[in-house]
Amino acid sequence: MRGAMHARWAACAVAVALAATACGGGNGGGSGDAGAVLSASWGDPQNPLEPANTNEVQGGKVLDMIFRGLKRYDPETGEAKDMLAERIETSDSRNFRITVKDGWTFSNGEKVTARSFVDAWNYGASLRNNQRNSYFFGYIEGYDKVHPEDGGKQTADTLSGLKVVDERTFTVKLTQTFSTFPDTLGYNAFAPLPRAFFDDHDAWVRKPVGNGPYRVESYTRGSQMSLRTWEDYPGEDKAQNGGVDLKVYTDNNTAYTDLMAGNLDLVDDVPAAQLKNVKNDLGDRYLNTPAGIIQTLAFPYYDDAWNKPGTEKVRKGLSMAIDRKQITDTIFQKTRTPATDWTSPVLGEDGGFAEGLCGEACEYRPDEAKKLIEEGGGLPGGRVTITFNADTGSHREWVNAVCNSINNALDNERACTANPVGTFADFRNQITGRKMGGPFRAGWQMDYPLIQNFLQPLYYTNASSNDGKWSDKEFDRLVDRANQETDTAEAIKLFQQAEEVVRDRMAAIPLWYQNGSAGWSERLSDVKLNPFSVPVYDQIKVS
Amino acid sequence: MPDQHHEPEHAVAGTGMGGTMDLGVDEAETLERRPTGPDGTGPQGRPRSLWSDAWRDLRRNPVFIVSGLVILFLVLISLWPSAIASGSPLACDLSKAQQGSSAGHPFGFDGQGCDVYTRTVYGARTSVAVGVLATLGVAVLGSVLGALAGYFGGIWDSVLSRITDVFFAIPVVLGGLVLLSVITSNTVWPVIGFIVLLGWPQLSRIARGAVITAKQNDYVQAARALGASHSRLMLRHIAPNAVAPVIVVATIALGTYIALEATLSYLGVGLKPPSVSWGIDISAASPYIRNAPHALLWPSGALAVTVLAFIMLGDAVRDALDPKLR
Repeated sequence: MRGAMHARWAACAVAVALAATACGGGNGGGSGDAGAVLSASWGDPQNPLEPANTNEVQGGKVLDMIFRGLKRYDPETGEAKDMLAERIETSDSRNFRITVKDGWTFSNGEKVTARSFVDAWNYGASLRNNQRNSYFFGYIEGYDKVHPEDGGKQTADTLSGLKVVDERTFTVKLTQTFSTFPDTLGYNAFAPLPRAFFDDHDAWVRKPVGNGPYRVESYTRGSQMSLRTWEDYPGEDKAQNGGVDLKVYTDNNTAYTDLMAGNLDLVDDVPAAQLKNVKNDLGDRYLNTPAGIIQTLAFPYYDDAWNKPGTEKVRKGLSMAIDRKQITDTIFQKTRTPATDWTSPVLGEDGGFAEGLCGEACEYRPDEAKKLIEEGGGLPGGRVTITFNADTGSHREWVNAVCNSINNALDNERACTANPVGTFADFRNQITGRKMGGPFRAGWQMDYPLIQNFLQPLYYTNASSNDGKWSDKEFDRLVDRANQETDTAEAIKLFQQAEEVVRDRMAAIPLWYQNGSAGWSERLSDVKLNPFSVPVYDQIKVS
Repeated sequence: MPDQHHEPEHAVAGTGMGGTMDLGVDEAETLERRPTGPDGTGPQGRPRSLWSDAWRDLRRNPVFIVSGLVILFLVLISLWPSAIASGSPLACDLSKAQQGSSAGHPFGFDGQGCDVYTRTVYGARTSVAVGVLATLGVAVLGSVLGALAGYFGGIWDSVLSRITDVFFAIPVVLGGLVLLSVITSNTVWPVIGFIVLLGWPQLSRIARGAVITAKQNDYVQAARALGASHSRLMLRHIAPNAVAPVIVVATIALGTYIALEATLSYLGVGLKPPSVSWGIDISAASPYIRNAPHALLWPSGALAVTVLAFIMLGDAVRDALDPKLR
């Protein structure tokens, strides 16, 4: 294979240039060079990398490299394990006493203390700082004072439910019982922040300082972020390589071509057009594993055209006009599975995944689809436009296919059109700016493997990632009750009832469960994807 | 000056009407004509004009005949695409994605299962429409502004020259990405408007230069001395002798405008689906080049042939109208 030979030579050149390592032919796999740097595909994040302001995948990737929280989701199982937390104690699932481990510092030498967490959470919750993930602090007592609902005046700067007891201990008081609260603490919104973040915020934003195995060396928007291993990292998951250069690509086909040409070591988004060839191209340097990602179409409920009674029939009709199986088979070469609920199979049946919960609404029934849309008053304005970002995930291919499927079902060649937005960051800005006029792509990569995370952040009134501003009292009530429930099985039942509300009103159209995919160069070994589909960068070995 | 956009026609007509002028002026014009062949301005029976001379050259030029036939064919299928393609360019069946050619589908199917033949045929309409309309716009705007600047000179000339300098400094593709990305209308008009906006300075320079050359001729001075008005001088004496370079450059530019439309559509800022354009199809098919090269090659081939045909036509017209450049 010519491509492979080529890749090896170029890879050697890169290695020599960057780390002055020897590049012999026979030093075998497995033994990595701890000093070598790898390059990986990436996209610009929407916002500066403040942990509580990052609710999208690309920024999340970096936060996961430069921060460690109280908990960390096991890269293999997704289980929430103690990281910086020595103990999280509670007797009533409402009052928590959290002890931080000794010996942790930020990469600038500052100690990680209880205050690092309390300050960070107060910052994230405060309305003044306008953080996208502020909603994650919503159950902490005093949230209504620091982040009042629409238009209210902020009357406090700090959450009254957070109290520092001593250097390593703080307490959290919630407004209601929330049995899985400790398991949510691995999410990046709950990361600790050094004083440098508050003392010189601009400098921090230019060059974020965290407590993870990597530190940010430089970032040029639109080009590259260089991360280097933090040598004094106190944790056990020390990076096995010298660092990672995250290179910005605006087209995953280009990234794949660069991988084949030896200019890139790792892609974590194999383009749909290459799925037919990838096994041939990369052999066992290709990975495709189930991940906690579901692809959906969300709707702008701030637009009256989609918020009228009866439009749920239109949405259900659209859902039934999409031939999911044909699209996942043809466009994605069976690397995705048609969705039949709003969660993900990685949760498992015990975790709340309910195969078939969507029922006939997720089956391809073109005749019924047409009838339902007519009953619901037809498509608003006679047509729909699906907005998506064109730089990742081969979204153009599947959005066009979804549109063609809808057009074929409705016998109208112009019923559905695709509206590409160049970059993910722009797309997110348009969404958070409420500029959507019709359905839009809403892929959801879970933050932690709980059914709650597939429902509450997306459909709860005013939740952080409820991009379409959907709101339903019954849904909110069921979620609140589920969170209070201390018996896991009961809680999951309640969440599934809430999911049925989502189904009955077709708040979003589920499309398919996505697998994570990755391809890498011959320099790399030990490449794995975690259950969130993000490469476990710190375990990758470079030779 | 809305009437001015008929200038090329006036120009051609003006050549014929020159003969009715005063003797002195006619003689001056005769002198000017000499390099392009036997002079005279009347219809049949009289000596040939620049235009009939050029037409005689063109008819004997195989390059003109071939490119002319290709362009005629393109114009016909843009007007009546359904005559040779029965399906709809928007009818796609995903189950046939990436299949090769089969009965009734000679070019096979693209990644979405759309018929490549039908889409290639319908794509000609966009290309021809953009090419022709943008060229008309550029020629009218550019030659009017250029001619006025060249004729009146002075401050008008300086201002216009600086404005053209500004437009020349704008990189075409970058300008397209910036300007067209904010436009949501999905028709050919924004693309045409953009091409006219960036294309007119080239034509205005040509027209300005040609007018400056023509106005220094003795017969123009003579006509002026006899009290001819500005409009008479411009339309009767200068324009007919300045229009040839404009036509030549505009014809060659037409091909490049078609390529520019495809480029902009390829980049996602020109036309967008469901509009049908070769640029869109080339862009959509390029990731599949390894598995379905036919979906990329047919629209690319059609684009290449079309652009080549217009550029060759422009070359032939230039040879005929301006033998000095041959």
